[in-house]
Amino acid sequence: MNAANQATEVNVKGQIREFVMEHLASAKGVSSFTDQESLMDSGVIDSLGVFRVVSFLEETFNVRIADEEISSQNLKSIDSIERLVLEKLKR
Amino acid sequence: MAYILQQLLKKSATRYPEKTAVWARERSISYRELDERSNQLAHALREHGVKKGDRVGIYFPKCVESVVTMFAVLKAGGVYVPLDPAAPVDRIAYIIGNCGIRALVTNSEKKGALDSKTQASLEFVVLIDEDTKASNGTTVMPWSVLSKYDGRSAPSVMLTETDLAYILYTSGSTGRPKGVMLTHQNALTFVEWCADIFQITSEDNLSNHAPLHFDLSVFDVYNAIEAGATVYLVTEDIALFPVTLANFIEKKGITVWYSVPSALTLLLLHANLDAAKLARLRLILFAGEVFPMKYLQQLANVLPQLELYNLYGPTETNVCTYYKVERNRLSSMDKLPIGIACENTEVFAVDDQDQIVTRPGDSGELYVRGPGVTYGYWGDSEKTAKMVVDNRFQKHFQEKMYRTGDIVVLGEDGNYYFTGRRDSMIKSRGYRIELGEIETALLSHPAVKEAAAIAIPDDVVSNRIKAVVSTHDGHAVKPTELQQFCGAKIPKYMIPEFIEFQENLPKTSTGKIDRVRLAQESVRTLVTA
Repeated sequence: MNAANQATEVNVKGQIREFVMEHLASAKGVSSFTDQESLMDSGVIDSLGVFRVVSFLEETFNVRIADEEISSQNLKSIDSIERLVLEKLKR
Repeated sequence: MAYILQQLLKKSATRYPEKTAVWARERSISYRELDERSNQLAHALREHGVKKGDRVGIYFPKCVESVVTMFAVLKAGGVYVPLDPAAPVDRIAYIIGNCGIRALVTNSEKKGALDSKTQASLEFVVLIDEDTKASNGTTVMPWSVLSKYDGRSAPSVMLTETDLAYILYTSGSTGRPKGVMLTHQNALTFVEWCADIFQITSEDNLSNHAPLHFDLSVFDVYNAIEAGATVYLVTEDIALFPVTLANFIEKKGITVWYSVPSALTLLLLHANLDAAKLARLRLILFAGEVFPMKYLQQLANVLPQLELYNLYGPTETNVCTYYKVERNRLSSMDKLPIGIACENTEVFAVDDQDQIVTRPGDSGELYVRGPGVTYGYWGDSEKTAKMVVDNRFQKHFQEKMYRTGDIVVLGEDGNYYFTGRRDSMIKSRGYRIELGEIETALLSHPAVKEAAAIAIPDDVVSNRIKAVVSTHDGHAVKPTELQQFCGAKIPKYMIPEFIEFQENLPKTSTGKIDRVRLAQESVRTLVTA
């Protein structure tokens, strides 16, 4: 992995976490969450939040997320969202 | 004809013992199992002190045990109170205290999250998971112990149709939720109307999208059971993802879908709905908020083979009017009616001269009478007296009617059309929200001087919520801090999405906060917090 990729990887999780914290968690009164926990179960992400995350990912990382990829598996937690983005960036 | 809800289960369990009754999270139970398990839990509840009329809380995320518990409490002669697993614990504790819940069916995580005082107030707790840490003075029983109880018959309890079956808590304008009391008769009035008009059969597969503390689920569960059909409980891992949800509807062969309009709009916009794949879906019912015409029209076009109904009615009456979408009229309509009264229910609009509206074009507040109407709010005779009033139009005997607070106009076509509210109750994603409840939560923050909660109309979810706040002595408070503060008091869907600070809120000539002006300003200049 070259230096540019390494830098990207470090930033991805941080940016995702910051977005979720600032734009979703706060509006739901949630002040903290782990990388692994289900953001749906904790109510941080609701039916509208799902699409705000997708828009954010597409705009920020310049990737395209198809409707079929909008799933619990991909968007459940910070870790899964990061995994989704990194996979797309690799291509 | 059934007069109490559990008779619906008894009949279907006799006819269709091996059919799947309930499916949830990749598990299912047959009618026989549902009947036996609920008998066992009912005996356990009775043995541990639950008597006729006692309130029993149901407090865990939706799963097959939810339906087992609903029937078990009914069979024990009790009144079940579905507690929203996503609500702040403070609110749950309030409800437990408010209606005197002493027996609770829950899981160990939820039980552990309750404050110690609330936990101590419970006499009997059944855990659907197996963890059994004993509590002082509270008997805690794991689900597995149920097998020692008799599953072949329910406890012997003498109930009549006017006994309470469940209490559903809704947003209260003064800051605390209020418990709508519903009898077996209230529920069956609705269930029987649905069975008749929608012709649910044992071949149907009903989805349950709504939370169990929301009265849409009364149709999903009880109409499925009544017909010997299967009810599929939809959980968040499916519901939040439109493509997943559409696949679910297809794979499970859902034939009847009932939900708030915003769930349908999200499916329409993001799930690539395919009529051929959803060929088994024959009926879509929607209720809880206004369905924007453009989305309804698109949905009707994409799914030409099914029937669509708009159902209307507050928790206090369940559905009281309905409108079957006339496809040939749809493209030329700009407003969807709430329709006409359901059978066995009467509605009328009362104008500001206190006359019943009879002329098309005239409007008034909608009132409802009939066996579907609640007797009132638990422990709140004041609120009950305000909303469940004597029917002054009934000259020959005493009866009650419910004032909905909804202003309606009688259309030329004989249908009622919703035009607005008498007060400050709003809908967002189908959830009923008293703006006053949000304001009370904000005002309880020490730095907040004044607070106004404003509804910002939205295309998909009906309304989004904004708060305009002023603080004491210009104390700076971060919007996120206020949101978090609210999060401990009110459900997430009520937390203001946008918070704006002003030095002093504008007032009307009578010195009250000028909400109309705030609303107008907000719509013009929407800024995200």
